[in-house]
Amino acid sequence: MMNDKAEYRLQHPAPGSAIEAARTFGVDLSLLIERLRLTPEERVRALQQAMTMMDRIRGAARKTTPHNP
Amino acid sequence: MTDLQFLIPHLVKQGVEFVIIGGVAATVHGSSYVTYDLDICYARNRPNLDRLAAALSPYHPRLRGAPEDIPFHWDAETLKHGLNFTLQTDLGDLDLLGEVSGVGTFEQAREVAVVVMLFGFECAVLSLDSLIAAKRAAGRPKDHLVLPELEALREADQDEERDEN
Repeated sequence: MMNDKAEYRLQHPAPGSAIEAARTFGVDLSLLIERLRLTPEERVRALQQAMTMMDRIRGAARKTTPHNP
Repeated sequence: MTDLQFLIPHLVKQGVEFVIIGGVAATVHGSSYVTYDLDICYARNRPNLDRLAAALSPYHPRLRGAPEDIPFHWDAETLKHGLNFTLQTDLGDLDLLGEVSGVGTFEQAREVAVVVMLFGFECAVLSLDSLIAAKRAAGRPKDHLVLPELEALREADQDEERDEN
C-alpha cells in the first residue's frame, strides 16, 4: 500500500518530474492516489467491478428508443 | 468479461507456472486504466504445458476473433507448437505469452516479478520496472499511452535510497 511519501509526491508533483509529466499528459493523479490506498487485491477487485460495469453499459448509446429511432 | 477472481486462483491451484503481465499487472501496481483480459507469461517446460492445457480445458479455450470454422485443438501439443495465444474462454479473455518483449522468457519474467496476494493466493506479477520496459518494447501506440501513468507510479514509489542517489 502507499506510503505517505508516495501520496505527498502525487499531491505535489515536483517540477520536471515524471509525475508532473503524467499530469500534463492528462493522467488524473487523484485516481492514482485512490488506487494506491488499496491493497493489490483490492485494486484487482475494483478492476473486476469496472469491467462488469463497462460490460453492462457498452453500446448503450446505440440502442434505439421510441423517441430516438 | 474475464472472471479474474476465479481464473487467477484456478491457475495457481492447478500448479500452472505463470507471471501476470499487461493490464492486470498495471492494475496491481496502481494503474487506473481498465483492461478487459488477463495476460500471463507462462513457463514452456512440458509439465507446465500439460498443467496449463488441463487447467483451461474445462473452459473451452478457442482462438479469439478467429472464424468459427477454423479448427483449433486445445492441448499441450498445441501450446508446444505455438508461443502466444489470444484466447476466448468460458471464463473470459486470456492471453498466453511465451515471451514478453523487453523482458524475455517466463524464467526471466519470473526473476523480475514481485509476489502479491491475490484472492488468497501468492501470485507472481511483473515488476513495475519490467512492465514499463515491456510497454516500451511493444511499441504500439496503446502501450505508449499508459507509460506516463506507469512512470508516475514508479516515481511516486521510489525509496529513500534512490532519492539519495
